Amino acid sequence: MSSGLPPWRASASATTTASVYPSHATPAYIPVQARRSLTTPSKPTPAVSIQPAPADADSARKRVEFPPAVRSYVQRCFEPEHQIPGVTRQEMETKLKSVITEAAQSDSLYKIDWATLPLPQVMVQNDKTRILANPEASTWGSLYMAATASSAQTYKHDESSKKRKSAEYQTDSSSNGFPPWRQTNKQNAFEDRITYSPTDKRQRIDFKNPTSKSKANLEMRKKRFEDTRGSYGSSPSSRAASPSPTPTGPVVGRCQELEKNYFRLTSAPNPDTVRPLPVLMKTLDLLKKKWKSDNNYTYICDQFKSLRQDLTVQHIRNEFTVIVYEIHARIALEKGDLGEYNQCQTQLRALYAQQLGGHPTEFKAYRILYFIHTRNWTAMNDALADLTPADKQTHAVKHALDVRSALALGNYHRFFQLYLDTPNMGAYLMDMFVDRERLSALAVICKAYKPDVKIRFITEELGFESDEQSARFILDHSAEHFLQEKDGVVKLLTGGKAAQLFELSKNEAHRVVDIKGQI
Amino acid sequence: MISILEELAEGQRQLSGPLVAAALTPVDTSEDPNRLQSFYNFSNAAQISTSLRHYLTQTCRLKIPKQELNAWIDLFSAYWKVVGELLKFGESSTRASWVQVFDNWRDLANVLIRAYTNFGFENWTISCLYVVGKYLRLFASKADAETSAQSSDAFYQEDATTDFGKNAKTEEAARVLNRMFTLCLNDRAPLEASRKWGVYYMTNLLFKTYFQINAVGLSKNLLRALSAQAKELPDLEDFPKSHIVTFKYFVGVIYFLDENYGEAEEHLAYAWKLCHRNATKNKELILTYLVPCHLVNTHTLPSKKLLSHSPRLETLFRSLCDCIRKGDLHGFDTAMTAGEEEFVRRRIYLPLERGRDIALRNLFRKVFIAGGFEESKDGQPPIRRTRIPVAEFAAALRIRTHADSRTRIDIDEVECLLSNLIYKGLMKGYIARERGMIVLSKGGTAFPGTGV
Repeated sequence: MSSGLPPWRASASATTTASVYPSHATPAYIPVQARRSLTTPSKPTPAVSIQPAPADADSARKRVEFPPAVRSYVQRCFEPEHQIPGVTRQEMETKLKSVITEAAQSDSLYKIDWATLPLPQVMVQNDKTRILANPEASTWGSLYMAATASSAQTYKHDESSKKRKSAEYQTDSSSNGFPPWRQTNKQNAFEDRITYSPTDKRQRIDFKNPTSKSKANLEMRKKRFEDTRGSYGSSPSSRAASPSPTPTGPVVGRCQELEKNYFRLTSAPNPDTVRPLPVLMKTLDLLKKKWKSDNNYTYICDQFKSLRQDLTVQHIRNEFTVIVYEIHARIALEKGDLGEYNQCQTQLRALYAQQLGGHPTEFKAYRILYFIHTRNWTAMNDALADLTPADKQTHAVKHALDVRSALALGNYHRFFQLYLDTPNMGAYLMDMFVDRERLSALAVICKAYKPDVKIRFITEELGFESDEQSARFILDHSAEHFLQEKDGVVKLLTGGKAAQLFELSKNEAHRVVDIKGQI
Repeated sequence: MISILEELAEGQRQLSGPLVAAALTPVDTSEDPNRLQSFYNFSNAAQISTSLRHYLTQTCRLKIPKQELNAWIDLFSAYWKVVGELLKFGESSTRASWVQVFDNWRDLANVLIRAYTNFGFENWTISCLYVVGKYLRLFASKADAETSAQSSDAFYQEDATTDFGKNAKTEEAARVLNRMFTLCLNDRAPLEASRKWGVYYMTNLLFKTYFQINAVGLSKNLLRALSAQAKELPDLEDFPKSHIVTFKYFVGVIYFLDENYGEAEEHLAYAWKLCHRNATKNKELILTYLVPCHLVNTHTLPSKKLLSHSPRLETLFRSLCDCIRKGDLHGFDTAMTAGEEEFVRRRIYLPLERGRDIALRNLFRKVFIAGGFEESKDGQPPIRRTRIPVAEFAAALRIRTHADSRTRIDIDEVECLLSNLIYKGLMKGYIARERGMIVLSKGGTAFPGTGV
């Protein structure tokens, strides 16, 4: 309660705090320089105590034995293909020096993931773009730029760059990697969707070609800088608050392969691994065929998730998007994967709100059945409030509403009639709670009828397929002696004792609803 | 004459919280239509704290400890800034912005919180907390409305379901209010000088905020925190009634939404009894939830007199109640459909729907009464006929649901309805399926609680 963050923000903060861990803090996103020109001297950071002077860096180099990762990092800095026009070699060297000195002095040489740390020239370039792009800092920024451009290497400058470094690893990393002037109260919406997981997942992307892993990483990183310079800082939430310099659009994919495994994004998407819409359409056709022929749910679910991801990162929202979600939702339903189904359903609800086509009433009906299953009455209330009068006239929605009302009033007769006549794929959902409702009905029947009822009556009233099936069900939840054969027909002996047993089973069944229903 | 400053000074002299709180209320009054403007004209941004200090120490000759005085000056300087933002609306300039107002008011709230934690504001000033909290919520929702009005045309969303930022300011307000809540709850000063007296007011503000942003679940955290501190808190009866009525109302609604109608009725009834008799709107709100609760729990309908006080409740419940009373199922279904939108919006659809059971009970009771009496034997008082063919109930259903001659009434369904009433204790007896008969209990207990 007393913490500043309210619980509904807690999850967001959990993902952000993950980035504080030094082990994978840097590679997960673009480390952005603190605003150097606006640093207030009144707030000394611990790093100020670090001795400046290049000489110190030299001595550090002699003292410390550098791990191979650092060496290869340095090597890469000087490779011609990584040079960026507009960043002089001297600037790059200064930056490199400060990076390494900083790392050595804070004992983080082994903690930093050098393979994915941006090259110093990239850092310098980013600094410049930031300063240029930020009108508030323009005066100071340009002054500073002039100073660095003239490469007047003074003691003072060196110190200021050291400050910047510490801010980069300490202050900045804790605040999401965005410089203070980009920080708004709300966090970047996209950030919330990214979990900063250890890098192993990302490395798997390159498993086909392990030898060139670091190089591929490098490529990916370069791409990322090109695309994300402004885009993720200028998502709608922050755009409202701060003037965004380069309102770049969503990612546009370049990948031509039809199939792709799903990985949860741990960084900004790379256009090389994202498939554009025409490819995705072919993918969907392929997946539909494969699902018919192979019926391999693990494969198909994975493929659909990556398909959905590609749509999301490219901000594609049209009828095709709706179709993808609908098909995935149906497949998930068929396989009883309620977790996945629920994800699709939530997205679909928003997509339908935008009138993009698809089959809104079919899925609105599922939604109602789903909330009956999870017995989420608050959400049910919301779902009911969502319906338009026209929706209520359609067969599917009407059916779902009737199911709901039959259950609310305990009208098992009507409920099981509806169960046997469920439109679309609603039966998959109803299967999930039909046994639960059979127990409720049996508890009622046992209490209300005397002295017995024919098993045939149970079979018919409770939608069983055969007398054997209903007998089996009764035996599973009560005792043998409640079923007796009289005059050639099997009868269920009703009355208090049987009612009690079914009441117990019913309560048990109603208690264990797995809300998520993940498989 | 600057009424805001006078209220402040007078409040300080008398140690009256309400007076200081009145000074902090950011509205013009009918007595002083230029109340805010005159305060704003009192000084300028550069000199406001100096002016305030001079006014309080020299003009009014108040003796306040230095630290506390500084805190008051900070508070009213922050207040002066908000007033400036508010006045922009009057200038019809495009610069006026509720987001600005909110941000400045939030700063004011933070200054106030600091004044309590660090600079020894005493508990007589607690009304300041109320007024600042109240306007914090109001300004937040105005700011959010303003933001969404501006961004509605800009079509861009990260994800299909992002409501993200829709309630950003209100959420921020909730965070600040939560700090105020803990500020009250965790005050360890002796009770007579404690801020604990403000805890229910702050809770209510948070309830309102959570309901507004559709985060009712968070309210339970507050209830948990309160019950953990229950021993330290003064008795509920000792708090101002206005705080308690609102508090009980919200707790009742929270249980209500969980379908825990028993608990809900308890709290709502408490609120109902304590509610000021002229607080019409509050009474309406309480009854909106209390009536369905009572229907579910006790199967009783509101009296004509109760509903007659409020036209709104009258339209909400009247026809429904009449149909239940008469056992008019067709009318009941029509009334439910007619009121559906409103019922769903108020989240009372689900409990009201259960009223159908009562309507059905009343209908079947009529069947029982129409069955008349058995032949009395040996001068015993006559007893009602307790063996009734299911077909008679089916006939009653046919009449009351307006079924025409073509619709078949399903005997199995009639039995199902009957068995449910028996199961729920609305009827006593059993169904003998082989003979197509209902055997009801004798001795005036066939329909418990209805006299037959």
